[in-house]
Amino acid sequence: MSDVLAPTEILALANILDELDYYQVLHIRPDASASAVRSAFHQSSRAFHPDSNRHLDADHRQAIGRISKRITEAYTVLRDPRRRRAYDEALRGGRTRMQIAEAEAGARQQATDELEGKTPNGRRYSAMARTDVARGDLAAAVRNLQTALTFEPANAHFKTKLQELKGQLEEERRKKRPAPF
Amino acid sequence: MAEVAIGIDLGTSNSCVAIARPDGVEVIPNAFGENTSASVVAFHEGGKITVGNAAKAQIIHSPGRTVYSSKRLIGRYFFSEEVKKAQAICSYRIVEGPNHSVRLQVADQQYSLPEISAMILREMKQVAEAHLGHEVTKAVVTVPAYFNDNQRQATKDAGRIAGLEVLRILNEPTAAALSYGFGKGLTQKVAVYDLGGGTFDISVLEIGTDVFEVLSTCGDTFLGGDDFDDRLIDLLADEFSRTHGVNLRKDPFAFEKLKVAAETAKKNLSIDDEVEIRIPDIAKNDAGESLSLERQVAHDEFASLVMDLVMRTFKVCDEALQQANLTVRDLDGVILVGGPTRLPLIRSAVGDYFQKVPKTDVDPDEVVAMGASIHASSLIQPEQNAFLLDVTPLSLRIGVAGGLAETVIERNTPVPIEQTRTFTTFQDYQERVKIRVYQGESRQAEENELLGQFEFAGFRKARRGEVEIDVTFAIDSDGLVKVTACDRATGQQASTEITLSSGLSDEEIENIIERGDTERVHTPSLDDSAELPVPAPTPPPVAAAAPPPAASEPPPPVAAAAPVAQAATPPAGPAGDEIVTLDEPGDDLADDDELELVAGVETPPAEMHKQALEVEDEGAPEDPVPLEGRPAPETPAVEPSAPTAEASEPVESLAGDDVTEEYLGEAGTDLSQYYDDSEKS
Ligand SMILES: Nc1ncnc2c1ncn2[C@@H]1O[C@H](COP(=O)(O)OP(=O)(O)OP(=O)(O)O)[C@@H](O)[C@H]1O
Ligand SMILES: [Mg+2]
Repeated sequence: MSDVLAPTEILALANILDELDYYQVLHIRPDASASAVRSAFHQSSRAFHPDSNRHLDADHRQAIGRISKRITEAYTVLRDPRRRRAYDEALRGGRTRMQIAEAEAGARQQATDELEGKTPNGRRYSAMARTDVARGDLAAAVRNLQTALTFEPANAHFKTKLQELKGQLEEERRKKRPAPF
Repeated sequence: MAEVAIGIDLGTSNSCVAIARPDGVEVIPNAFGENTSASVVAFHEGGKITVGNAAKAQIIHSPGRTVYSSKRLIGRYFFSEEVKKAQAICSYRIVEGPNHSVRLQVADQQYSLPEISAMILREMKQVAEAHLGHEVTKAVVTVPAYFNDNQRQATKDAGRIAGLEVLRILNEPTAAALSYGFGKGLTQKVAVYDLGGGTFDISVLEIGTDVFEVLSTCGDTFLGGDDFDDRLIDLLADEFSRTHGVNLRKDPFAFEKLKVAAETAKKNLSIDDEVEIRIPDIAKNDAGESLSLERQVAHDEFASLVMDLVMRTFKVCDEALQQANLTVRDLDGVILVGGPTRLPLIRSAVGDYFQKVPKTDVDPDEVVAMGASIHASSLIQPEQNAFLLDVTPLSLRIGVAGGLAETVIERNTPVPIEQTRTFTTFQDYQERVKIRVYQGESRQAEENELLGQFEFAGFRKARRGEVEIDVTFAIDSDGLVKVTACDRATGQQASTEITLSSGLSDEEIENIIERGDTERVHTPSLDDSAELPVPAPTPPPVAAAAPPPAASEPPPPVAAAAPVAQAATPPAGPAGDEIVTLDEPGDDLADDDELELVAGVETPPAEMHKQALEVEDEGAPEDPVPLEGRPAPETPAVEPSAPTAEASEPVESLAGDDVTEEYLGEAGTDLSQYYDDSEKS
């Protein structure tokens, strides 16, 4: 969409806007990198920025207004990796549009899933690990988190947390060793 | 002749006008050869109005007829903190107009704030016309990035009253960045640190070869160089009262002199390490002896007086960087804008914070107008060579039950943008729905700025929950908010620019233009040199003594009882208009106007289902149903909870004009005090 469109094409595009997903709106592939998203936003905005189209009539300006707002919306969702993941999931479910607040809520939900686990057992053992940490039993926490990981091997948060706990446990053990004379 | 458009920096203290031509940008000087003019409007006996530095010199002689710092008041409600503060320190009279608006009483006439700004814009327009030799009708006008919708709209109205087509309301830091980077083929990330007379803005931008993208903007509309003056004034006044037992604040003339001296001293501290303040005969003691004020102030002492204010700006910078997802190390430069950034203490503090030497190659007083003019010229040229992508500075919110306000568009979202929420009716065969729109960062509705309320009527009548209404919130490239509603099933649509509660209606603006007060603005030109008043006295670096007022006008007994020439125009809205202004009596507590959010994502439905009532709940002791206490349904339900007590109150019981008046007289700034009058009637 970076090319300058003829007025009839502008109206046509505004009409099918709801059928386009955000990648199509920005004219990029679904696996586009973050910097590709950004430069696509710049290019599309240039073509449809209300400022560059002041000479057109009211109908066309309105159509351009709709398109440029959708371009901004697409960018606002896709530029944030968390929101983009939430959107991709909705897109797989057949939705082309997502309100930003909704994408944000989706992103938060995903973050919580990551933090607390998304399988029942993953959640259960990670919760137990948290309780262990709270009462100071690091060894038990490590065991429980290891168990949680067996249910969710891809959970990055579990992995980093486990490394962290192991480090702390090691540290604790070193301190407990009697000091050498 | 080719079409031209100018750029105007409408500042709190100073305004500046520029024009961009193919061969470069020119700041247009006034008849005195000054590149900036004080944003001061002097109303002379006999009707003449002057604007600028000569007008500023009038403050001391006729404080009641000279209006300054009016930008601090534009777009504000009468009950706001800022207005209270201004009332305490300003020498002109600030009174209340219709719809909680602010009016300035000068002699026997009242002026709205957009009119005052229009007079300043008129002056800048006429300065440009005198210089260019032809009429100018188009302009880009700048505002602090942190201005809300009410303030932007009021500024746009000012342009219209001044006879200007405002092509764009542009953010000041964005304009500065444009002026800094335009046509240089840069690829940089920069921060614009804009400390003006009354406002502080910080914007973080990414500049590409032909695109200026604002990544974030934050600000404080209560912080500027004038606050530095206040610190110095406090010090001097307190010391004076300790030594002489005389309170200079009680004497308007002495106080004005003190203010002038403090500002002059502050400015000189940007050049000298130490200044001497000397005001002979500033006051008399009880014995009738004449007293003088003398005091040395060193730059370091001044720095310690204001350092906490400076630190406050960096808190705002932290926020802006965080919002842009950057650290100071990611930035390639920092641009300084605004008079106070000439102070060494600011330059070094900014340098320390950003870990780089600030850029000072652009004049901090002119850079904003220059950027505005560059944008103005690119807007009237069909082929445009650089474009701006700006953001909205404040979160746009919708009022929901429990006095809360929920985010619809987050701050720092790029504009133009549009977001839609779906609502449903709350009662069987409901006829109207009403939405309150806010801007701000608080979950508590009343802590945000109320932009107005929006009513939608005439949609399909059906059982509760059956009508689905899409409410669309749009923010355009001016940062102005627009709300539209649409019945999903029938496609029936209603739309309005949000009705400004304290703003001017179309009709009022037309009346103001008709009255033509701005045409009384007299801009001296080089030709009528006989009329040239003496330029504003620029006191010598050291002594800041102002001569005692010669033929001083008595302080304004003014028209407390005098008839108001300008009858308060009733708010707009022909009969049958669906849009109800916020403060019209009778519009607040409709029994049938609650909405339910169908697709709520942030707020559980239990909180959602009654958002039109958030303010009324507080003032409605007879409402026995604690909203928060209701159990939240598991899923976003379309099925609403039982109607509450106040929902059955008939519309007719709403307050009339007189009742509204009564509440206006009450003290207190709580918004609910003003809006729940129907409850108390
Ligand atoms: N040389 C100087 N040193 C210190 N302060 C100065 C100097 N020159 C002007 N100021 C102060 O700068 C302030 C005005 O700044 P400026 O003209 O940039 O503001 P403005 O553009 O009118 O306001 P705003 O941008 O907030 O609307 C005043 O407080 C003035 O006293
Ligand atoms: Mg300024």
